[in-house]
Amino acid sequence: MPEPLLSARAVTVRFGGLVACDGVDLELQPGDLVGLIGPNGAGKTTFFHALSGVLAPDAGRLFVGGVDLTGRPAHVFARHGVARTFQTPRVFREMSAFDNVRFGWEFAGRRRAHDTFDSPRAILGFLGLEEVAAVPAGALTPARQRLLEIGMALAARPRVLLLDEVAAGLTQAELEASAALIRRVRDELGVAVLWIEHAVRVLMNHVERVAVLHQGRKIADGDPSAVARDPAVVEAYLGEEGEPERRAA
Amino acid sequence: MSARTCLAAALAAFLALAALPWLASDFLLSLALSCLMYVGLATSWAMFSGATQYLSLATAAFFGIGAYVTAWGYATLGYALAVPLGGLAAALFAAFVGAAVLHLRGAYFAVLTFGLGELVRHAITYFEKSYARTVGRVIADPPGSETVYLAVLAIAAVAVATAAGVRASRFGLALAGIGADEARAQTLGVNTRATKISGFALAAFFAGAMGAAVAVRWTYIEPASVFNPFIGFQTVLIAMVGGAHTLVGPVASAVVFSILTELLRLQFPYAYLIALGLLLIVLVLYLPRGIASLFENRAGRRAHA
Repeated sequence: MPEPLLSARAVTVRFGGLVACDGVDLELQPGDLVGLIGPNGAGKTTFFHALSGVLAPDAGRLFVGGVDLTGRPAHVFARHGVARTFQTPRVFREMSAFDNVRFGWEFAGRRRAHDTFDSPRAILGFLGLEEVAAVPAGALTPARQRLLEIGMALAARPRVLLLDEVAAGLTQAELEASAALIRRVRDELGVAVLWIEHAVRVLMNHVERVAVLHQGRKIADGDPSAVARDPAVVEAYLGEEGEPERRAA
Repeated sequence: MSARTCLAAALAAFLALAALPWLASDFLLSLALSCLMYVGLATSWAMFSGATQYLSLATAAFFGIGAYVTAWGYATLGYALAVPLGGLAAALFAAFVGAAVLHLRGAYFAVLTFGLGELVRHAITYFEKSYARTVGRVIADPPGSETVYLAVLAIAAVAVATAAGVRASRFGLALAGIGADEARAQTLGVNTRATKISGFALAAFFAGAMGAAVAVRWTYIEPASVFNPFIGFQTVLIAMVGGAHTLVGPVASAVVFSILTELLRLQFPYAYLIALGLLLIVLVLYLPRGIASLFENRAGRRAHA
């Protein structure tokens, strides 16, 4: 077993009396494409905040490439190769699309060589955003802002990419295109991906492993078709719009 | 304008200004000095606060610290040493304070930095009264007005050059990222804490050096006059009116404001302040990104068309 790329051990995050993440374990190996699902309020985004250093966990430990980064600020996570997107795209609205990508290019992981891209412009090309390079990011369509955010993250030369809801607000066609892009990120760039998605069906079709959070706890982690049949998962999703079993069928 | 013509224009302006002591009257020289003082203050303020959106009201504190370095050190160190030391003292103070308060944002940061000026003013007043048994300090044998003018010109020029360099640099990109979305910048690898502290200290250096340079003009230095909140407010106002996110905005606005101040303050002291207040209100309501944004919109529309 190689050294895990990303390892969360019993991560717990509390907000006052609320336990948003309750002893969550998760490991990612290089080249993994893993989904993270769960009903609303399951603690997915909070877990992402912990994994990227945005929030320090109250208990548990976080390792990136075998290095203990627990409690370190977010830029240290970025420099160790953890890049992320946000649920609502957080681009630098007044900077051009190019400068947004250049931002990631300049700061995180300057010491890691990029195998695939030799410039921020090449990343815009990979995403099909070349023609809007000079446009302020805030003037782009929401779908393009999401793509741009992935570009900012890719420019930071990540070893693991955390995607928080790529599909929200996208049309079916855009959704499939995004899913295909995420596969390319893993296949062509060799970046491990952990992907939160509310559109569970699309996610299940593309990932090789899926972890399920429910009320802050991890209740399942494994092959998507097995997870979709897991009684605990079905129970958690009962009454939820995104019930995996029915949607995956 | 291309970068080369900009540079040539800046160089020509600098040379013309450097020749001014031999060409202009005393009144004009003093007017130019006050323009340049605010060019330096507003440019350095905008370099940090305009980019990061951390509204600092600490300019008066940095300026006063610089002035007091001159008050204490002029006789022993000489002018040439007192000025950079004044800047250094202000920068050190800013780094120290910044480490403590730069996690605060918005109104909290503004109020705290305003309080800094008052804190330092009272601390120095107390120190002088208790230990030095004096209220103010007399500057004996001050340098000539040409020397002071050239020092102020040099500080302003270095401030503008530094601001231009910062804007083009990685450091400037990090400052702008902090202003746009601090947490996002951090997740993209920016050490936001170190960046903010260095930016704050760099801006403070120029305010401190400016205070140290112009302090000798007063001959008598006391806390109430050098820790003057008006200097801090005027700096913020000038930068915001001009467009704090631009390089040219604060420079142009500093020149216009200083001339207006000199011409109007003596004749209509109250009307002038009222007009200033009204202008600020109108600008914040209708032109929050300063007068420079008028030109930007036009240029932007042309680019999109």
